[in-house]
Amino acid sequence: MTRVWLLLLGAAATLGFAMVVLVVLPGALLVRIEPSAGLAPYGEREARGRAVYIADGCVYCHSQQVRDPSFTSDVDRGWGRRASLPADYVHDAPHLLGTMRTGPDLLNVGARLPDPSWHLIHLYDPRAVVPWSIMPPFRHRFELRDADAVGPGDTVVPLPAGRVPEGQVVVAKPEAIALVAYLLSLRRDAPPGAAALLDVDSRFWCGQGDEPRLARRGEAPAAETPR
Amino acid sequence: MSAAPADARREEIAIRASADASSRAPVLVFFATAVAWLLFGSLAGELASLALHWPDLLGFASFLTFGRIRTAHLNAMIYGWASLAMCGVSLWMIPRLVHQQLSWPRLAMAGAALWNVGLVIGIGGILAGRNDGLEWLEMDRALADPWLVAGGACVGIPLLATLARRTVDHLYVSVWYVIGAFLWFPVLFLVGNWPFGGVESAAVNWFYAHNALGLWLTAVNVGAAYYFIPKVLGRPVYSYQLSLLGFWTLAFFYALNGMHHLIGGPLPTWMITTSIVASVLMIIPVVAVAVNHHMTVVGRFAALRYSPTLRFVVIGAMAYTAVSLQGMFTALREVNRITHFTQWTIAHSHVGVYGFVTFVLFGSMYYVLPRLAGREWPSARLIQWHFWLSLGGIGLYVVALTVVGVLQGLVLLEPSAPFQRSVEVTIPGLYARSLAGLVLGAGHLLFALHCAALLRAPARRAMPALLEARPVVVRDAGAVQEPAS
Amino acid sequence: MIPSSVAVVAMVLLLGASALALFVWAWRRGQFDHLDEQSRAVFDARDPRIERPWESEAQRRERERAHGPPLPAQPGEWGGAA
Repeated sequence: MTRVWLLLLGAAATLGFAMVVLVVLPGALLVRIEPSAGLAPYGEREARGRAVYIADGCVYCHSQQVRDPSFTSDVDRGWGRRASLPADYVHDAPHLLGTMRTGPDLLNVGARLPDPSWHLIHLYDPRAVVPWSIMPPFRHRFELRDADAVGPGDTVVPLPAGRVPEGQVVVAKPEAIALVAYLLSLRRDAPPGAAALLDVDSRFWCGQGDEPRLARRGEAPAAETPR
Repeated sequence: MSAAPADARREEIAIRASADASSRAPVLVFFATAVAWLLFGSLAGELASLALHWPDLLGFASFLTFGRIRTAHLNAMIYGWASLAMCGVSLWMIPRLVHQQLSWPRLAMAGAALWNVGLVIGIGGILAGRNDGLEWLEMDRALADPWLVAGGACVGIPLLATLARRTVDHLYVSVWYVIGAFLWFPVLFLVGNWPFGGVESAAVNWFYAHNALGLWLTAVNVGAAYYFIPKVLGRPVYSYQLSLLGFWTLAFFYALNGMHHLIGGPLPTWMITTSIVASVLMIIPVVAVAVNHHMTVVGRFAALRYSPTLRFVVIGAMAYTAVSLQGMFTALREVNRITHFTQWTIAHSHVGVYGFVTFVLFGSMYYVLPRLAGREWPSARLIQWHFWLSLGGIGLYVVALTVVGVLQGLVLLEPSAPFQRSVEVTIPGLYARSLAGLVLGAGHLLFALHCAALLRAPARRAMPALLEARPVVVRDAGAVQEPAS
Repeated sequence: MIPSSVAVVAMVLLLGASALALFVWAWRRGQFDHLDEQSRAVFDARDPRIERPWESEAQRRERERAHGPPLPAQPGEWGGAA
């Protein structure tokens, strides 16, 4: 019978879709994600910095997700104290999870590298602070000025000697300052609140009997802080 | 099958001629602009590649910064080169297969114009820093995308109208693939551009991006392979049943695939697991297509020495099998934890979009363009050069980045290894990629020049390139000809 | 319960359901009948008779048996548009 495969195919498809409709959709519709503890919406400057992050394509080399320690070395590398959760992203539109790690993960870069001057130097001239870096310099977010043309409101980038022509200074444009503000705001490793939903893929590899990493590190979940 | 009566035969040829004549102008416009984007995309890709190992090279201009020029490269190749060339192939193939003139060819021409305006605005915007922030959907959803939607509609509507007026009842498998693609893509594009937030934004993003590959790029090009391989060889596909099985499994199950781009990410386990299962399930359509294409050609591989079309399309079909199996393998968690976030992914995507899609499109254009121009390709040697530059370039590209991708992934999994090492192990691969980009770019330049030479040849040579009565193609210098239309 | 992307689930369902509808239509319209004959839809009547220079003697004979005496490839053959 040549059309047996047609029947099988149709049956499989119908079954599959019935299952999705009956099992998955009702559950999905009942769930709402609450922001994780202490996660506030972006302020105006951080939001502007995030737009710069998107415009200059940072996402093509930097991810913003920490995966489970039993699955990857993300936590051991110091990229976060725990795997990230949907609750960590409620204010992100569009998402910037990323698919490449040409550079390190940035989800908690604000906790890891809290010095704004370091970021300004690094953005203007990455190799001034990280000699092996292959990050492009974002000089268009800065201005090169004569040293005597600096006003009181200007943010001068404290570059190491020899990294800028004699008698000149590098002044950060507002968008560079906004970008740094955004980077510093990236801290998503507060202990998950009661509302955090743990059955996400980053925790898939916690098998049965595997003590979750959070507990092992003795970080009792904090009570949910109201925003 | 007995030979048809002479009258019927003559009528068939007349139908084909009128089908070809009806689609000629729009197809030429689509192909010409596609090749222009191919050149632009090659340049952008090469600059992006250079920027990764010489990071200070392009620091002087905002629009050349890696994050912008790389994005311009992707959009120029996917929405410029591949999509425009696919529209051309579709507009040419469908009238032939349904034995009907193309409906509203001028609307299709307008579609080419609108689509190109959208691309200029969208890619120009990316270079200027206007980016929607979603991979594969970077073009401005307010300024650029409406042009693309209108342009796509101007291609899809004539195709559907042609289909509705068809004079044959049966829809050949290529028609299913092409029409499916033109129905799926607008839906995908609209949903993909919908501004979601949070992790849902990620889910929808990869739902779109993966389906743009599978239900748009793959569908049209598998359809084209199902046309050109039997056509050149003069024998039907090995198993027509299998080809339909392949189409319908793709149609049913492919849409579930996309979440495997987020393995280990903050998404529900069930969604990602479903995608992994669906990815493995893709073995059915992939093997169906692979067996079919291979068994059709088997015993006749010598044909690859003669027909440039067959040569490109058969290599493209092999790359389709390779990239699909690699994709399945990569979707397994054990593999993914190494390869995710590394250059492996970049190599993989180029096996797909170059080794498969671009090769099939080159092959298709080698078949279609002489029939539209009414004369043959001026130089078999140029085709040879183009072929070997493309194959050599993509081979180097893929091998280099796959190897360094695995090394990079292994370093990243080793908690005690400094991140610096994961950068350093990729550097040789990044240099090799820049070299590969140059080789590929040279091939593209030759191809573009050859297209221009074909189309601009003196008009008096109405039917000149048939210097040889024998259908000798690639192997010999001089005239290039294929045996059957 | 777990968070899911309603949008993605809905889209998958929409695409799957439309594929199913098309499939039913195709079946009813007899698109899956006489498949051997349909597989030759790419060819014009003369296509399979034209000589392929790469074919072996056996393949050439097989072609002749199936499709009739071979036709030499001619200029007009490739140029429907010409």
